[in-house]
Amino acid sequence: MMPDISTILEVLLIFVKVGVVTMILFGLPLPLTWLERKIAGHIQVRLGPWRVGPHGLLQPFADMIKLLFKEDIIPDKADKFLFKIAPLLSMVPAFAVFVAVPFGDKLMIPFINKEVTLYISDMNVGVLYILAISGLGIYGLILGGWASNSKYALLGGLRSSAQMISYEIAISFAAIGVVMIANSLSLVDIVNDQGNGILSWNIFYLPVGPVWFMIFFIASLAEINRIPFDLTEDEGTLASGFHTEYSGMRFAFFMLAEYIAMVTVSILSVIFFFGGWHSPLNIPLPIPPIFWLVAKVAAFIYFFMWIRFTLPRYRYDQLMTIGWKVLIPISLVNILITGLLRI
Amino acid sequence: MSDNKNSFNLMDMIKRVLFTDFMKGLTITLGYNLSKSITLKYPDEEKWIPHRRWRGLHTLNRDASGKELCVACELCSKACPTGCITVIPMEDDTGRGIADRVAKVWKVDLVRCFFCGYCEDACPTRALRLGREYELACTDSKCTVKEREELLKPQSVPESIEGGFIVKAKFEKTPEGIKVVPDLSNSKKRAW
Amino acid sequence: MEQIFFYIFSILAIISAVMVVSVRNAVHSAFYLIVCFLQVAAIFILLRAPFLAAVQVFVYVGAVMVLFLFAVMVLDIGKEQFKEHLHTQAIPAIVTVIALFATMGYLVSQGRITVPLGKFTEEALSKNTEVIGKSLFTQYIFPFEVVSLLLLIALVGAIVLVLKEKKGKQA
Repeated sequence: MMPDISTILEVLLIFVKVGVVTMILFGLPLPLTWLERKIAGHIQVRLGPWRVGPHGLLQPFADMIKLLFKEDIIPDKADKFLFKIAPLLSMVPAFAVFVAVPFGDKLMIPFINKEVTLYISDMNVGVLYILAISGLGIYGLILGGWASNSKYALLGGLRSSAQMISYEIAISFAAIGVVMIANSLSLVDIVNDQGNGILSWNIFYLPVGPVWFMIFFIASLAEINRIPFDLTEDEGTLASGFHTEYSGMRFAFFMLAEYIAMVTVSILSVIFFFGGWHSPLNIPLPIPPIFWLVAKVAAFIYFFMWIRFTLPRYRYDQLMTIGWKVLIPISLVNILITGLLRI
Repeated sequence: MSDNKNSFNLMDMIKRVLFTDFMKGLTITLGYNLSKSITLKYPDEEKWIPHRRWRGLHTLNRDASGKELCVACELCSKACPTGCITVIPMEDDTGRGIADRVAKVWKVDLVRCFFCGYCEDACPTRALRLGREYELACTDSKCTVKEREELLKPQSVPESIEGGFIVKAKFEKTPEGIKVVPDLSNSKKRAW
Repeated sequence: MEQIFFYIFSILAIISAVMVVSVRNAVHSAFYLIVCFLQVAAIFILLRAPFLAAVQVFVYVGAVMVLFLFAVMVLDIGKEQFKEHLHTQAIPAIVTVIALFATMGYLVSQGRITVPLGKFTEEALSKNTEVIGKSLFTQYIFPFEVVSLLLLIALVGAIVLVLKEKKGKQA
């Protein structure tokens, strides 16, 4: 049986899309590390990277070269197999999430006259898929922490597993809220549900929208291990947590996964609450929808970095209190209210 | 926590719900983010010119007619708490110094010196001063000992300039080493 | 095409399942269990049940296994203990496995395993989240509620146990 030409083209298109997304994701942490250090610098009234290239723009490449050529140290009493595989376990899910993330609706490619969707796949279980796969990234942290055979790394891994379980619940509740508002598990439908200007965005779905957003945002801060919830790599008490023993490229993989997780969470926040690629107002200018998505995601990434250099770190028991005694009860009440509103 | 349990404060509750403290913190950091950085762009673009009171590299002065002021009295080496100054005097009547006793050797070991300035105070002829040169890093241990000949050269920042400001500078890589050359005419006040 | 994928996933699932019980390190066997669960999720997708696949990953891999790992790390089970544990059970385990395979082989050869597709068409199955949700909340509402009650009891029980312990500590 020979598949016809359109099927081959479809499969080829999927390969191209996956390739493009992967390349972008591999490249993205470079400007993000630069941006993070630059923002850190400016918030602390410093300059940030400056010497390598104009305004330190080539700093990430210098870092990359350094990480590439650094010795890959495996501790003597480490569990070799898990130690080697853990960075991959945390990196692969971070990439796999993007299979279901939509970047736009449809795009006409002018030369071949073919309509191309700006997402790899619009699953009808998109939300569930993303939550499930992004939850897998935690295994890299746990197993890496355990395999290092170091007390700091082990404590970091344990903390991250407990933290993940607690906040996964809150983040899923927030996603359920969005699903209830949009009446669909597909991310494209969720975005298209918010297509009529700024007031149709889920964050303005009063009174529950802002509350869902706060729950989602706080829980996702905890999910991606950023300050104020970066207990897993708490420099003050745990050296650097689960990746204490890692060096060179394996460490870079962890960092890569972390930055991609930040991008994922930013995109998800935009899709869930800020209308995805829809413009806030009906501007008659021909601005491509992807611009709005990128702009909103960039704003979110800045916000994450801004928070990082504003807030101190929570204590571990405070982290658990926020998760179990604040976010989850509020989400339960909020589900009830959302349900009543949607009847 | 347990003290607040009984006294339910409505204002606190509203504040907590609206994240007021969080917003306050964010506005402060945003303000700093948008404000101008105070980092000195040393060595690429700017350089700090210290005040006259700065205690940097030792300099040996000459009088107006170009004679060495040092009379090799060895008071500086006696006053030195770390004993890093070596002075060997000699007779000289060629008019090199202001007296017929001049230093044959005058050297300071910068690795041991901690720039307390006692030597400067002890000097009866004001021949010795701690100057404003502060870029003392070098790549081998020989250059940490400074000899008389080198210290007699005039400083890069003349005594007439009061100092205490930032000047534009140029970062130069020469075969002898790296250097930050200040442009003393182009100065500005420091931002902090 | 699907057949090939099915064989890849099922072979990987079987290999990892064997590894779960044969490796001596508890964390390693937890890791292989994760692999096994993921393969089963992939097979669910081949069976046109993406919702079940997502839930499999979400609940079993994402939550249950994290708890497993957490417990294993905290308990610190020694390697030797594991070894002995396996040895005493080896013979009954082998007998059981052979019996199970014999039964399964018999059933498959008789064609009893295959089940008709039922009233759902391919198209309806592509929206299978909706189908599952509807039947869960209409036809199977009673078992669903019973299960949720059971979970609630477990939850309350856990909290009661913890609270008692705390009181005991204070006294």
